[in-house]
Amino acid sequence: MQQPALIAALLARLASTRLTLVLLGVFAAAVAAGYRDESIAPVALTLVFGALALNLLAAVAVRPVFRRHVPLLVVHLALFAVVVLVGLGKLTRLQGRIELTQGVPFDGTLIETDAGPWHRSLLPQAVFLHDGFDIEYAPGLKRGRTRNAVRWIDTAGREQRAVIGDHEPLVLHGYRFYTTPNKGFAPLFTWQPAGARAVVQGAVHLPSYPAQQLQQARAWTLPDGTEVWIKLASEDVLIDPERAGAFQLPRVKDVVVRVGEQRHELRVGDSVELAGGRLHYAGLRTWMGYRVFHDWTLPWLLVASTLAALALGLHFWLRFRQQPWSAVEAAPSRGTGDESGAALVLRAPLES
Amino acid sequence: MEALLLWPALGCYALAGVAAIAGGPQAAGVVRQHAGLALLLTGLALHTLSIATRWQALGHGPFTTLYEILTSNIWSLTLVFALASVRVRALRPTALVVLPLIGVLAAWMLWADAGPGHFPPTYHTALLYIHTALGKLFLGLLLVAVGVSGVIGMRRTAAGAAHFAAMPNDAALGELAFRFAAAAFVFESLMLIAGATWAQDAWGRYWAWDPLETWAFLTWLALAFTLHARASLRQRPGVYGALLGVVFVLAFLTFFGVPFVSLSPHKGAV
Repeated sequence: MQQPALIAALLARLASTRLTLVLLGVFAAAVAAGYRDESIAPVALTLVFGALALNLLAAVAVRPVFRRHVPLLVVHLALFAVVVLVGLGKLTRLQGRIELTQGVPFDGTLIETDAGPWHRSLLPQAVFLHDGFDIEYAPGLKRGRTRNAVRWIDTAGREQRAVIGDHEPLVLHGYRFYTTPNKGFAPLFTWQPAGARAVVQGAVHLPSYPAQQLQQARAWTLPDGTEVWIKLASEDVLIDPERAGAFQLPRVKDVVVRVGEQRHELRVGDSVELAGGRLHYAGLRTWMGYRVFHDWTLPWLLVASTLAALALGLHFWLRFRQQPWSAVEAAPSRGTGDESGAALVLRAPLES
Repeated sequence: MEALLLWPALGCYALAGVAAIAGGPQAAGVVRQHAGLALLLTGLALHTLSIATRWQALGHGPFTTLYEILTSNIWSLTLVFALASVRVRALRPTALVVLPLIGVLAAWMLWADAGPGHFPPTYHTALLYIHTALGKLFLGLLLVAVGVSGVIGMRRTAAGAAHFAAMPNDAALGELAFRFAAAAFVFESLMLIAGATWAQDAWGRYWAWDPLETWAFLTWLALAFTLHARASLRQRPGVYGALLGVVFVLAFLTFFGVPFVSLSPHKGAV
């Protein structure tokens, strides 16, 4: 067989709508398998996406129906763009998680991170800090709206302020910072090593409140390696589950510090002398957990997918307009036997 | 007040079902079909008032509990079917297939707790209304397609052939089913896009293959397969109708099953 003929035969096979059906079935199987075992999902979906993309491109290349029906061509090219964009997004995106103490700038360090191999991090430039938050609760401790005040310095050197939360992320250098239900209290300490003048500041993020309101304690390792255990002294119920309320700092801000067998109860401003230095309790603040997401493909994905759906709608509308609904309705009844379409001329729906 | 309006609405729907059973190819049957449509429209008016009353009392739409999801879907499915029946008269006898399916939801709703639910902070967005409206249009149009396909299936029996004798032939019904399924597919695609946009806003990711997203995508794939199969395999209307039935079962489980059994963060209504 001549080479051009061979290529044409190969393209024809690749462009088969029956192959599309098989691949759609394999796609469904891959989704179901990936749902049961997440480890196989990336490979399975990548293979199916690749095969569908080849099938789609081959169909666009050899099937005349795409030249006769431009909206149908747009549908398929837009779907191809979606596949490509999803792939590029996977390679270049970043998602992660941070916890930020009130008043302390974000330093670009993530607690959890999942970055594509082509992601070039600009996170250290996305510096901001949060100035506290308001969260309403309905009876039953059902969380309402979150309003989180944030500020940052823009590229012109001006301070910017905003209130984010729920649907409104903070977007800096393409990174989107979303508030999460994960938030709580953060006792702030300073540590002065014995014989040194330098002071180290740190905050302990107590477990999320009110989700873990009965476990407001956490172990902490001081810079000299000493293990301490920090707990909120107050066990008051801060959000009454029986009525509407709001997140608030406890009225009594004392903390309990345990070092080995020693127990110290500190008020704001108190210090305790330990073997390696002095631990000073500077105050009680809040911390907020943020989800971080970066994917430059997001707006293009929205455009491509919406274009595909609208072009499909236009394709069907144009096709159905050729044969009015009244003509379909007016088709003779005469029982069930006429399935060949002889009594009603039906045009081929999607292919030539 | 809400219940005072809901019960007569359900009564109208039930009577429309009786009219559908009593319908048939004869002139009297056709009159009963028209009466059934009038009852459906009356029931819809009462049901609309019932939902509006609850909406005003709670301060939010029917989006949060199983009861609310069921009542709003009974309303939207009936609305889509009634409007389609007004526009395409040939659809009216399909009430015999469509109304029992809506009746299943109505019976389920009567067992559900009608108490108020919590309106989550992630629901304070226009995307809630866009996503929900697109989803309801999708399911409603798919139900109409399934109703038409059901007639093709029922005409395999002697009783069905007699009852639906005045309807267009199977090829024409297959075309009708295809048209509604195609429209459903467009709205389902837009629903998934709106849902992904909402998920990005609400949870900081547009797609995470959680149970609801996975089932919704499988439903989309199944409908894409069904539409493609009709084009490439030149199926008989009965086979195509059976495939649409499978898609409807998947969609039904996605809408009314997964959100209420899933423990993932994306639980739809709960």
